Amino acid sequence: MKKILLSFLLSAPIWVFGQGFQVNLQGQKQIGMAGAGSALALDEASVFYNPGAVSMLEKNSISAGVNPLLFKSAFKLTGSSNTEFVKDKIAPPFEFYAVWGPKSNKFKLGLGVYTPFGGLVDWGDNWSGRYSLTSLNLKAIYFQPTLSVKITDAIGIGAGFVYNHGEVDLQKDLPVNFPDGSPSKVQLKGTGKGYGWNAGIYVKTLSKISFGLTYRSKVITKLDNGDANFTVPSSLASSFPAGNHFNAELPLPATITLGVGIPFSPRTTLAFDASLVQWHIYKELAFDYTINTPALSDTHSPRNYRDGASFKIGIQHKATDNFTLRAGAGYAITPVQSGYVTPEAPDANRYILSAGAGYTFGSKFEVNASFLFEDLQSRQQKNIESGLDGTFKTLVYAPGLSLTYKW
Amino acid sequence: MVILGDKNMKKYILNGFVAVALLFAASCKPEIQTPAGSTTGAANFSKYIAIGNSLTAGFADGGLYLEGQKVAYPNLIAEKMLAVGGGSFTSPFFTDAQSNGSGYLSLTALVNGSPTLTPVTNNLAYVDQAGHLAKYTTEVQNLGVPGMRLDLAFAPTFSAANPFLERLLTSAQVGVTSYYQFIQGRNHTFFSLWLGNNDVLGYATNGAVTTDPTNSLTDKATFSTLYSNLVNVLTAGGQKGVVATIPDVTAIPYFNTVTPALLLAKAQAINPAFPAIFIQTGTGSVRVATAADLIRLPFQTAGLFAVPNGSGQYYGLSPQNPIANNWVLDKDEVIKIKDYVTSYNAAIKSLANGKGLAIADTYAYLNQVKLGVKVNGVDINSGFITGGAFSLDGVHLTPRGNAVIANVFINAINSKYGSNISITDVSQYRGVKFPN
Repeated sequence: MKKILLSFLLSAPIWVFGQGFQVNLQGQKQIGMAGAGSALALDEASVFYNPGAVSMLEKNSISAGVNPLLFKSAFKLTGSSNTEFVKDKIAPPFEFYAVWGPKSNKFKLGLGVYTPFGGLVDWGDNWSGRYSLTSLNLKAIYFQPTLSVKITDAIGIGAGFVYNHGEVDLQKDLPVNFPDGSPSKVQLKGTGKGYGWNAGIYVKTLSKISFGLTYRSKVITKLDNGDANFTVPSSLASSFPAGNHFNAELPLPATITLGVGIPFSPRTTLAFDASLVQWHIYKELAFDYTINTPALSDTHSPRNYRDGASFKIGIQHKATDNFTLRAGAGYAITPVQSGYVTPEAPDANRYILSAGAGYTFGSKFEVNASFLFEDLQSRQQKNIESGLDGTFKTLVYAPGLSLTYKW
Repeated sequence: MVILGDKNMKKYILNGFVAVALLFAASCKPEIQTPAGSTTGAANFSKYIAIGNSLTAGFADGGLYLEGQKVAYPNLIAEKMLAVGGGSFTSPFFTDAQSNGSGYLSLTALVNGSPTLTPVTNNLAYVDQAGHLAKYTTEVQNLGVPGMRLDLAFAPTFSAANPFLERLLTSAQVGVTSYYQFIQGRNHTFFSLWLGNNDVLGYATNGAVTTDPTNSLTDKATFSTLYSNLVNVLTAGGQKGVVATIPDVTAIPYFNTVTPALLLAKAQAINPAFPAIFIQTGTGSVRVATAADLIRLPFQTAGLFAVPNGSGQYYGLSPQNPIANNWVLDKDEVIKIKDYVTSYNAAIKSLANGKGLAIADTYAYLNQVKLGVKVNGVDINSGFITGGAFSLDGVHLTPRGNAVIANVFINAINSKYGSNISITDVSQYRGVKFPN
């Protein structure tokens, strides 16, 4: 049975996994397995990975972790010999989970606070794409209270409500020059919110092979009354009035994940996740300014993302009773079509490699570490909207650490 | 698929850790491969000289001054040639103390969207009341001379009349040495040649009225012959080079900013009864202006429009007091000018192809700019002040315009000779400066 299933999985067409602004760092154990784990009742991070598996967790627990992420992008203008790099800025995706339920009962309550989407890129204000973007700091923090119910010993279901707190700070130069020749600048900064939900089902078969199916809904994040700060020569102040505001909307996509967990032995488990990310809702990035002038119209930048999906495989091996090792690999195909790649998310198809380790101290404490590496393939294109013509290449490094208390 | 034992699994996972760690160490910084390393191809860039007029010299905003000289397209090209065997590139820069050179126009205010242009008059390089500029007689490779025409390049007397050429010559040479002679004997290995614009532009900017040799229209056959002579001396040692076509002079902001429709709207805002704009054509007839008639940019500030004459007829608004011929390129004059440009360009291309030279088709590129191009996130078009490519005189390029033109030359050179001179990053160069 295991053998047949595995060969089926390996011969299946490679699903694509939508990336864009997606940050796949929601639990150290799962990260160590390249992000697979929706079919495993591993730990409290199942609040994110599969609320249905939460009811299968044996203990109550609380955990907190962080994954300092280094997003290293390079860009070379077509025809230029000069390669430009983003500044080294460390984004701090984090995760906090708590799971609690009466020992004898069939239900568990969970809470997750995590950062499923975000971006931190700083190209500096002297690079060739400065009129498209100088820096972007985008954060989405999801708060997800969850209820999970064990229907039978083999089937668990769960669902959570999602509240998203979003923050954006986008800066770029404008090709309008001051008397000293320096360019004008704009900063769009605001906070927003959105709502959604998350549900999952976890099934453990008699052969101990487990299945997980989860759905995370789209979260339309609305930014109202953000600050639109223009720094322009004073002769143009009436065209770019001070104290202006903007409204914008960032649609964060729904994700469907199907996972399989295969225990090779009591100590070794294989996990496989395939996800479909419905990025097609990201059609455009629009900024609606409160005050419009002949020089300042609302902007509608086409994004036209496609749906994406992923294929991730991970393995966990309990080396000793206290020490666990993990590794994983994955492949993802970008939702960003050629002509729409922007410096804010210079996305491309990517390979994922990961490793992780965990150690338990007694029965209460557990430390887990992970390391995720993503290699985005080099991608040459000319952006349809901006005319920025060049090649992007990105590597992502994300070490992570979490601490868990169980009782 | 063999199910691995625990022991083997451990080994594999540990190996995986090591592999990931190695990968991290080896490829911390992303790299982008360039298709070919740096190469000069079939060309030799060790001594580059640039032949041309005001565009080559870096003239902008109605004057030649240091900031413009530094970003003249040949200087931008030479900077990029350094990586592919290029040598130093000398230019007749004004000194810092005289950095405003001949003086130029500065945008000092926008009043209800209308620009106020003010001449810059400090730190000039004039040495006498006659308008002579401080000499620069050491060797230069940017040989661009504002006002130079193809026909006058062969006239020794013009070197006395043109202060920008006079400046580059010793006293003994002035009035004796022609531009054609001046550019020779420089042991160049590569050249660019963008000359001939003024053979039609001078005529056009004078409203298609010829009053002296600087605003005549060069005969087509003469153009071809003289251009051939020039190319022959530049390639006498088998040198490679790039020649550029003549832009459609009727496409520049100088002729497309003050339109009959705009003037009429301005007049009707005061008195809706004004029926139309009237112009005097090149043949002397008077008629209603259409969108096909082009009015010169300085008309805006000439203080003539709508001023009544002795019999109460408002200038430009009455058939009895039309806009004078020298302010207008009427549609027939536009057709004539376009025809000359087309003919000049046919000659340039044919001669260049015969010599195996690269052709920078600035004619085609600036026609695209007229419609609008997007470069590095910047919209560039032929709009006056807002378009970003043309400086405040409506004819010459801004630093940003020079950068895009430098790339037209670089791409032409690379594609002809198989070299890979890096393009210039257009985003580093400014458009028009707006006042604070």
